[in-house]
Amino acid sequence: MGKKWMQTLKKWMTKRMDLPEDVLMDFPRITMVGPIHLYIENHKGLLTFTDEEFRVLLNQGQLLVKGKGFVIKTILPEELLLEGRIEQIFFIRD
Amino acid sequence: MKNRWLKNVFGYVTVQLIGDGIERFVNRLIKDQVPLWNMKREDEHSITFQMSIQHIPFLKKAVRHHRLKIRFIEKKGLPFLYQKAKSYSGFFLSIFLAILLILLLSNMIWKIEIRGASPELQYKILKQLQGMGIRKGQLLLFVDDPQTIQRKITELNDEITWIGVKLKGTTYYFQVVEKERPEERELASPQHLIAKKEAVIVDYFIEKGQPVIKRNEYVKRGQILVSGVIGTEENKQSIAAEGKVWGKTWYKADVSVKLQSEWKVFTGERKTKKYLEFFHFKLPIWGVQPSHFDQSEIEQTKATIKFLKWTLPISFISETIYEVETVTKTYSYEEAKRLALQKARADLYHQLDEEITIESEKTLHEMKDNGTLKISILFEVIENIAKAQAIIQQN
Repeated sequence: MGKKWMQTLKKWMTKRMDLPEDVLMDFPRITMVGPIHLYIENHKGLLTFTDEEFRVLLNQGQLLVKGKGFVIKTILPEELLLEGRIEQIFFIRD
Repeated sequence: MKNRWLKNVFGYVTVQLIGDGIERFVNRLIKDQVPLWNMKREDEHSITFQMSIQHIPFLKKAVRHHRLKIRFIEKKGLPFLYQKAKSYSGFFLSIFLAILLILLLSNMIWKIEIRGASPELQYKILKQLQGMGIRKGQLLLFVDDPQTIQRKITELNDEITWIGVKLKGTTYYFQVVEKERPEERELASPQHLIAKKEAVIVDYFIEKGQPVIKRNEYVKRGQILVSGVIGTEENKQSIAAEGKVWGKTWYKADVSVKLQSEWKVFTGERKTKKYLEFFHFKLPIWGVQPSHFDQSEIEQTKATIKFLKWTLPISFISETIYEVETVTKTYSYEEAKRLALQKARADLYHQLDEEITIESEKTLHEMKDNGTLKISILFEVIENIAKAQAIIQQN
């Protein structure tokens, strides 16, 4: 109950005060460079990593990426750079 | 990575993880603030990635809680390179010593060759060279340059006309030209004696031949003085005419002498500087302070270092700076005239370089112009005017 109320408050604040959502809402920021690079900031940990499937935990749900020849160029506590041929991206909400 | 070169400096490893639950293991490393890069899936149960060696303790700590195997596939970077180099240190040291040895041997005298000298002179020169420190096994750095050696050897030996000194690689070549000993005169072929220049005959002394001149006779250049053809009309015979014919000749000399002359004199003050030259950069190693001489002359010697047949761009320069003073001297008119006469006479002796007698000197003209005394002198000289000319026989 309290968590949901906080969420509503934050949403209202970003709308009213014109603040960037990703900072306040603790959203991930995902940047793509064509179909070859995927840059994820604010991830919460690796779930699956194979050549063709990449699944990462986010603050709310998961991100599933499908493609070919995946390589994690860099992985740091907060950010992550995935390289390969990206074909599909799914947001999985829990 | 923002600073890719840094990982090379600190060193990094490629790690292979084998087992289940690899993702959880990776998450654990990330929580410990360990950056990873180039992560790749090898097969269902294994993964490879790279990490810097300073984070390996975290890897070792994390593996205790997981059922995984770790393999280090590749080690790269400066720390590993350094370790490798350490194990090769003996090899590097021996290469360094070998280069040092070649360097040392390249700068040594290995051979001294003296050509053109008689055995006793050769032995004498060899001994003198040894006295100057030029011997087998001596470092070239401590030896004078060829010009100085040439000068010293020439001064020491009167029987040498000329000596050529050449340093080629590690060998000193000495080309000696000995003074010729007066050889016995060969029998000359039939010849006349003719006049070298126009003159008035003063005296003659004929060893062989028939004189065709008289005293006080004027002869032209090329005129026959002593005939090599003797005997009667029927019984002619050609011989080599020999003898001396003294004739009076005339020379005009124009000499100019400055009434005020300047020249430089060494004061005896000097300063030595030593440099190490690398390419064109001179590094002073001795006598760094600049000299305070107003006028100076610099003498420089340069010793180069060789490696096999190449000259290295490193050389050792020693410079001696001598203080110089300008001395001015003013002559009186009489002094200048005497000096001019002296100069003219010296020139004449030098020019004729045979036994001559100056009969008289006559000043034709003298003029002082712009601080210079100009004099024309007429010399009357008695000299040998005979010159041999072969008789071409016509049969």
